[in-house]
Amino acid sequence: MTKESSVLVYGTNLGGYRAAYGLCKKGHQVILLNRGSYVDEIRNQTLSQLPLDFCWMCGHFVQRKFKALGCVQDFYNSRLGEVSGEAGNFKVKFKTKPQTVNNFICTECDKCVEVCPVKVNGRKAIYIHPEIGWENIYLIDRENCTQCKKCEEVCPTGALKLDREEEEKEVNVGAIVLALEYNEPTDEELKDFGLGESPCVVKNSEIARNSLLTNFIQDSVQLPSRKIPENFSIIVTSHFNKSIKEYENYNLCVSAAYRGVKLKEILPQSNVTIFLKDYRGFGKKHFRWYQKALDAGVQVEKVDTLQVNPQKKEEVTIQYTKEGKNRNQSSELAILINGQKPPQTMDHLSKVCGVQSDEYGFCSTKPFSCCETNVDGIFGVGEFTGPKGNPETIWEGCGALTEITPYLGESNFKPSPPPSFRDIKGEGTKVGVFICNCFHTFEEKMDLNALKEAVNELPEVPHVEIIKGCCTPPTIKETAERIKQSGVNRVVLAVCTPIQKLLKFRKAVMMAGLNPLLSEFLRFREDVINVHKNKEEMLKKSLTLIKAGVAKVKKGSPEPTLKDKFTPQALVIGSGISGLTSSLEIAKRGFPVTLVEKGEAIQTKNKYFDDKQNQHLQELASEVENHSNITVYTNTTLKEMDGYAGNFSGTLLSGDKEIPVQAGVIVLATGAKEYKPEGFLYGEDRGVMTQTELQSGTEEKKAGNRVAMIQCVGSRNDRHPYCSRVCCNQALKNALNLKKQDKEVTIFYQDMTSYGKEDLYKEAQDAGVKFIRVKEKSYPEVKKKGNNLTVIAPGGEKKQFDTVVLSTGIVPDIQNNQNLSRILGHPLDKDGFFDSDVNVYPYEESIKRLFKPYEWATNCIYPVGLAHSPRSFEEALLTAKDVAGRAVILLGKKALPAPNAMYIAEVKESLCMGCGICVDVCPYSARTIDEQKKTAVVHPFLCDSCGTCVSACPNDASYLRDLKGDQTLASLDRLLIG
Amino acid sequence: MDPEFEPKIIGFLCNWCAYTGADLAGTSRMKMPPSIKVIRVMCSGRIDPLFVLRAFLRGADGIMMMGCHPGDCHYQKGNYNARRRYVMMQKMFETLNLDAERIGLWWVSASEASRYVKVTTEFNKRIEKKGPNPAQEEIFM
Repeated sequence: MTKESSVLVYGTNLGGYRAAYGLCKKGHQVILLNRGSYVDEIRNQTLSQLPLDFCWMCGHFVQRKFKALGCVQDFYNSRLGEVSGEAGNFKVKFKTKPQTVNNFICTECDKCVEVCPVKVNGRKAIYIHPEIGWENIYLIDRENCTQCKKCEEVCPTGALKLDREEEEKEVNVGAIVLALEYNEPTDEELKDFGLGESPCVVKNSEIARNSLLTNFIQDSVQLPSRKIPENFSIIVTSHFNKSIKEYENYNLCVSAAYRGVKLKEILPQSNVTIFLKDYRGFGKKHFRWYQKALDAGVQVEKVDTLQVNPQKKEEVTIQYTKEGKNRNQSSELAILINGQKPPQTMDHLSKVCGVQSDEYGFCSTKPFSCCETNVDGIFGVGEFTGPKGNPETIWEGCGALTEITPYLGESNFKPSPPPSFRDIKGEGTKVGVFICNCFHTFEEKMDLNALKEAVNELPEVPHVEIIKGCCTPPTIKETAERIKQSGVNRVVLAVCTPIQKLLKFRKAVMMAGLNPLLSEFLRFREDVINVHKNKEEMLKKSLTLIKAGVAKVKKGSPEPTLKDKFTPQALVIGSGISGLTSSLEIAKRGFPVTLVEKGEAIQTKNKYFDDKQNQHLQELASEVENHSNITVYTNTTLKEMDGYAGNFSGTLLSGDKEIPVQAGVIVLATGAKEYKPEGFLYGEDRGVMTQTELQSGTEEKKAGNRVAMIQCVGSRNDRHPYCSRVCCNQALKNALNLKKQDKEVTIFYQDMTSYGKEDLYKEAQDAGVKFIRVKEKSYPEVKKKGNNLTVIAPGGEKKQFDTVVLSTGIVPDIQNNQNLSRILGHPLDKDGFFDSDVNVYPYEESIKRLFKPYEWATNCIYPVGLAHSPRSFEEALLTAKDVAGRAVILLGKKALPAPNAMYIAEVKESLCMGCGICVDVCPYSARTIDEQKKTAVVHPFLCDSCGTCVSACPNDASYLRDLKGDQTLASLDRLLIG
Repeated sequence: MDPEFEPKIIGFLCNWCAYTGADLAGTSRMKMPPSIKVIRVMCSGRIDPLFVLRAFLRGADGIMMMGCHPGDCHYQKGNYNARRRYVMMQKMFETLNLDAERIGLWWVSASEASRYVKVTTEFNKRIEKKGPNPAQEEIFM
């Protein structure tokens, strides 16, 4: 039986999107089932937890890109039904109901709103979604709608239909990805914090949503009485919630710090206090945000219990206990940052497809896999399988790709090749102007015929025509036909928004056999029709705009689509767990991998792993050694590396021997080191040891009856200002083990950064482990007195112990990292780990980069595992799989067109003098200097056509293909002179 | 203030933030003065001082430059380049004895349609008060 090639994605979390996108790129059809009636109706974790104070547009382009890819079928209002069959050949039934207003063919003419007779709360019964203003999402207020169907009659494209029938569909797919969204605690469950009782208590996600269209400004936090509050408190509810267990992920504490900093930015005089139990900022750079908050003057109160008491008007009292004392603080606005609940859809899904939940209520996944569930061929990604942060969700999406493909048949989707362009040499310039009347809606607002006549009088325009539209499939075809018939070779389309519909317009031009570089799309509706009232003014302005557009296209030149070759090989540096995993995953998909290890042999045992993990490592190692696609070089280092993303070539140094190596992508899996403690009598007294030494269980390192543990040794100090992520959980596990042996355990800590589904911290507290908090950046002192070790806390408190265990952190291998960073030109972050595109989260500086995976703008060098930041075994595996997934998409391409195919910067060689300024300013390292010719070269593969190089060039040698300097100047002149 | 005077304002808008913001203003049907005419650039870092000077000498009464908010640039740091160039342009305008108040730089994100309308309306008022650009009549250099 042949395997199916399509994949069904149920739910719209970020991981699901990412997996769908990757599968499309690999040529598999994807069926996307959205449970809501429009794109973001059901919020995923990113939308709920990311403090969305900044514009979110780039994220929303994702959906449009899917459609542009052409191999995604999306269904709205859908619900998964029966699943039968087995992995590779599933038969899936689902119910779906099309959108009332099909936003794929809706032109946003607003006629439906105009004719609607019902008025409620200052809007009509049909209205545009107030929060998602950039997508044409029309909502219908079903309660107030009178079903007069006037809107249906007036809709020019037939996009609107009030009564849509629910349909039942059946599809055959090879695999199913469950990407269900996240559940926030309800208002009822947050009642202890006064939510719903007082107007002064709001959720952070609400603030974020409200400020979505305006950015975070003072109005975003104003009270119902329009007063701007001055006393703020930010509460991380998952630390204090008694009614339910809120699972805490990555973002919560850093969201609090971020919100505090932002409040201080917009209201410098205000008092901001953050209430939490411990600052659990274990992500990359999260402690830097904590410091930023403190520097900005935000108060951080680490308290034991907390309650919010609503007072009379517009005030709440925060009642809390700290160090055993009761305290009160009044506040005008309390912002709640809440955690996550297990998915509620779990029961339904277990019934229809048999996936099991784990003991916490999340979907269970197999050990050592990133998203395989207990049913073969069914995968769970993102917040559906546990509390996740954004980077993890994104990683899982791509990691899923490597795990799904074995269940799928040959790829079944090939996008149709772009039509060939007509050769326009020797034709002279013939510009055609096409004015859209948007299904006759523009005609009511201005005199299009007068405009047509005025344009007709321009000597440089031989052809002008009014078209009906250029955004629905039939009108695109018709427009293309008209362009073809008119015989023009340059096109100015006076249409509506090229932001949303650019691809459609381009398609029309390309279908007419013209190079899209010879066209210009004027924003006729947004710049003229919608924003002005006077018809005379409108006519004058649109004529000027058309003149400028004509001047621009006249200077355009038909340049060919570029392609760049791609070396389908990977180079993996380092043979730890992440290095081995990524090499194997890439090799299994049929690409040659060079694995370089500077040690004697590839790793088969790791002293930090437990037995199961070591066994997994061993299996991996033997599989790697026997795989025909993998070449292993031991005792080898990287000597030099040249080239750019997709085309690296360099040499390896093995002893004295030099080995040439080529690669399309480079995976950095160089690992990190354990911090070697200094002081604390470590190495001097045999009673002082590290957690790993304690775990090793040798006779010499046996714990006495009274054990002290000191956290954050080598982490969170001035030299290593980050959290090492693994040590708190390790310490708690060890403490629980010791407790079982009836030993007395005391933990000296700054913040207990335990995380994950299981709550070890609470378990340890219940088991009677003592916790003593010490001040930040200070450590207890260890002294020897007779047979006893004395630990003196910074407060002066003294205690006697037999054994002191130091929780040592992870530090980067600075020397090695710096060396590699120099050879590869890949930056290190401030802590000495390798920087990467996706995980420089939070926040501002990276939101665009968070979504870059969709857009392709990395340099093809991927740090994974500990080379990237401190992380646990599972997380290292996850990053390795993610990178393998990304690499597989790329390596499969062999030859890649530039991201925007033809919209890139180029260099006029005769003018270039090779000064190299453009190389310095290019944000994508897309430029190098050709040593022989002494001119700058653009790698079309990397260029994203920003044009920074163009304005930096002192000789005017650089230009953008679609926005050349003389094109801009020509249209500028026409705009001003007429 | 001449009631007949209709300013000519050129706006250089970056494709990803300001141009999209203007788009949203259009789709949301916010009314704004017709005087501003938009030239799209891919990034505010692409705004060449030459464009600004040329527009000014060709008779533009005011020039607006708009890009993404700092830290939010689609191309990571193009708007910082724009900011540096803007400072340089202001100095250049002063040196040439041109009116530096007729040029301005704003950060407008793709979602800030209302901000786009606000700044264009305000700038239009500023230019209306100032009257026609004298540089188009003076001959210098």
